Amino acid sequence: MGIYEISLATVVGINIILALGLNMISGFCGQISLGHAAFYGVGAYTCALLAKNGTPFAAAIGAGMLAAGIVGLVVGLASLRVRHDFLAITTMGVGFLFLGIVRQQEILGGELGISGIPSSGFGKIGYLVMVLALAALTTVFSLWIKRSWMGFAFDAVADDEDTARVVTVDVSAYKLAAFAMGTAMAGVAGGLYTYFARFLMPDDFGFITSITVLSMVAVGGIGSVFGVIVATVILTLMPEFFRFISDYKLLVYGALLFAVMRFAPEGLAGLAGRVFARTKRKARLEDEAT
Amino acid sequence: MLHLELLIQGLIYGSMYAVIAVGLTLVYGLLRILHVAHAGLFALGAYLGLLITNATGSLVLGMLSSAALVGVGGMLIYRLCYQPILNRPPHVALIASIGLFIAMEEIFRLIFGPYGLTYQNPPLQSQIALGEIHLRAAELGMVIAAVVLLGILSYLSQSTRIGIAWRATVDDSDMAKSFGIDTIKVRYLNFFIGSGLAAVAGIFISLLSNLVEPTMGGVPAYKALAIIVLGGLGNVKGTLIASLLLGVVEAFGTIYIGSILDRDAIAFAFLIVVLMIRPQGLFAGR
Amino acid sequence: MIKKLALIVLAVGFSIPVLSGSSHAADIIKIGFNAPLTGFAASDGKSASEGAKLAVEQVNAAGGINGKLLELVIYDDQAKPAQAIPIANKLIGQDKVVIGVSGSYSGPTRSAAGVFQEAGVPYISAYAIHPDITRAGNYVFRTSFLGDVQGRGGAKLVGDILEKKNVVIITLQNDFGKSLAAGFKSKAADFGIKIINEYEYSIKDRQFGSIVAKVKADNPDAIYASGYYFTAGPLVSQLRAAGVTVPIIGQEGYDSQKFIEIAGPASEGIIITTSLDRDSDVPETRNFIDAFEKRAGFKVDMVAASAHTAIMVAADALKRAGSTDPEALRKAIAATNLKASTGTISFNALGEVMKSVQNQVVKDGNWHRHSVIDDPALLAPPDK
Repeated sequence: MGIYEISLATVVGINIILALGLNMISGFCGQISLGHAAFYGVGAYTCALLAKNGTPFAAAIGAGMLAAGIVGLVVGLASLRVRHDFLAITTMGVGFLFLGIVRQQEILGGELGISGIPSSGFGKIGYLVMVLALAALTTVFSLWIKRSWMGFAFDAVADDEDTARVVTVDVSAYKLAAFAMGTAMAGVAGGLYTYFARFLMPDDFGFITSITVLSMVAVGGIGSVFGVIVATVILTLMPEFFRFISDYKLLVYGALLFAVMRFAPEGLAGLAGRVFARTKRKARLEDEAT
Repeated sequence: MLHLELLIQGLIYGSMYAVIAVGLTLVYGLLRILHVAHAGLFALGAYLGLLITNATGSLVLGMLSSAALVGVGGMLIYRLCYQPILNRPPHVALIASIGLFIAMEEIFRLIFGPYGLTYQNPPLQSQIALGEIHLRAAELGMVIAAVVLLGILSYLSQSTRIGIAWRATVDDSDMAKSFGIDTIKVRYLNFFIGSGLAAVAGIFISLLSNLVEPTMGGVPAYKALAIIVLGGLGNVKGTLIASLLLGVVEAFGTIYIGSILDRDAIAFAFLIVVLMIRPQGLFAGR
Repeated sequence: MIKKLALIVLAVGFSIPVLSGSSHAADIIKIGFNAPLTGFAASDGKSASEGAKLAVEQVNAAGGINGKLLELVIYDDQAKPAQAIPIANKLIGQDKVVIGVSGSYSGPTRSAAGVFQEAGVPYISAYAIHPDITRAGNYVFRTSFLGDVQGRGGAKLVGDILEKKNVVIITLQNDFGKSLAAGFKSKAADFGIKIINEYEYSIKDRQFGSIVAKVKADNPDAIYASGYYFTAGPLVSQLRAAGVTVPIIGQEGYDSQKFIEIAGPASEGIIITTSLDRDSDVPETRNFIDAFEKRAGFKVDMVAASAHTAIMVAADALKRAGSTDPEALRKAIAATNLKASTGTISFNALGEVMKSVQNQVVKDGNWHRHSVIDDPALLAPPDK
């Protein structure tokens, strides 16, 4: 595997963790977040500052995760006051606020960002393995949450908050839990990005990044763990895939987002489901005919 | 004196925001959709306005034809993009709209180039003195256009049949239908008007900077969303007040706390503070 | 279960075409080039790639590198650091470029520089200003001014050459604007400049009404304003429209015909610190300007000139090294002493360029020479 493939795969792995975090918030719990990149950024910057000060790898990443989770909890508390479309815009606001603060603080690198972040010590392939391992762990975690009682509660909240409340599901607690877990995952992704790029600039964590992650979740099929993973792989690799028509790749990306939402709103997961339901039904009909 | 000038600048920005945001809140009020692609129509309006004005030498012609064309464009977007996905969860329309907006920006870049277009003879550049305050004609024009257009909109919605039909449809679409109101026509009109307003805003803004760029819809795309939430989603009057308020907050904020936060952060900090105090926005409902 | 398998197959199937390599012939030398061809910085990406392509064509037309032809491998990084890393890896690992050139902004350049340094492949930054780019290591060079250095030049221009003392600074809130302001402020006192106030604006702003009002109230002798043509054009136009008549001094971000188009008559008399002298009688500069306008169809700008210079430096080093061995190339680049369109290029120990600042002024709707700042002590870039 050449250095190109390794670097691409590492980015895919980091994006998977990031997207699954958003999937937990938006997919499992129905809260649309347009500011996920802020938590990615909190994790990344926390990790970077600590790493430059000599903190060992695992501790720095852990700190990033914790910081992002705590900020997520705070934002989650704010989200309890507002709903749905308001929440989307509020989270978008959080994203801009985070950036606005980081850009102007010299301690956080300001406009010049943070450079000279030490290496993780794993080597390129070792690092890739570790990122993929964490991505796998995140996947298992997401699936476990989804299938557990917590997942059931999330579904209830996503479907209909008011009814869930009537059935004494502690809506607030679950919303907060979803936020904290999802943002903590973003924090992990941020830390991993820090050691990968070894250079951070505020622009990496802006509104466009939030939208990119949201599109991975939406195209995958909001709530579907495997769908989101596949969509993440495809959307991350897409710019590389389209290098031969590179002038049009953003156009293709926009058109793809539109087309998927317009024609397959349940995302890839929904599409796959439909295709297989039809084949299963056809097979069954043929069986019955014979 | 300075503070008066800043206030006026704020009101000028605010009226720009208002003309853009009203279209957005009209769509939300009717369909509960966050129509991000509205910003793409804003930019399209600026492009068409500039091209037609450069070709014919008449700003009036440029503005009117651009508004009409973009209005039709808005109706098309409704028909092709939103109508088929109305009964889907809200994120579907949002992402579809975002995808459409990205595609539009790219189309502008591919067709008109990345450098942007300028007016051959920028109209409305003369200085107008109101006492000690000096404004450019385009700035004054912006404010007047905002007042006139929004005033007309208000009159239409209160005192004409189509306006009442619109308000009824926004209130309760099914009941409106049962009263014989053609809700589809109301929707088309809604998009036509909102998009036309966006085009007018785009043209005025391009007159102030003498530049039409592919990415000029970027800031309105998210700023207008903040404004309509601030004003109370679906509430036109609220949107107007929120726009003016935000314009003034930004005007003062960029001078006095510009070294701590940038303009967008100031706007969103303001929004978050307001929402924490009044989670339904400044004016709830309609 | 089957559904999940299907999704996995889809993902894998998608990855395969992406990872297929590219072929290369024996008598072609590849130079890698990353630039923002799409996204908000697409205008600079276009200018940079046009400048680079011209350079490659010119080198090949003159016989190539000792008979071998140059091939430019261009990838779009959308001005995003996260995109630049896989691109750098692809250029090195798959396309096997012998030198990389950045036609992009600071963020992606700094990220890519780390990759090139680690792989031991020389990397030249055409116009990105971030100080840490060359600190990535000894394989990284920069053919343009650091923001800080140019800022110092601006202080001399304002305080010494123009003799203006009370100055208001308007700063673009990004690395470019901030480092220019920092450089200016560091030398302001030396030239007798008193900074009355500083205001900041975002790269997305096009309306500057509140800043204009405040600056009018401040009543300075001169304004030092950083920005790119799409912010500086509107800013200058709005300042003049409000009756602010004092000199406005800018930098290479303004250096484009588009600035003059946007600001119209307001652009007359605007002075900038840059590295392209339109009135130059140095053949390298003259030839470049004429050839560029003919090839690209639009007037030259600083970004195009910088990219052209960087490629020329790369080509020159390749010729002198006589081989594509990375270490030999690196040494050759470090020993560069080349006349290019943006000045005479030579590097210090850190890989930073040492050259004079060209001040240009807008006269009759075009950029012309105003003055030159030749002050090695003042303009000395850091050397570690």
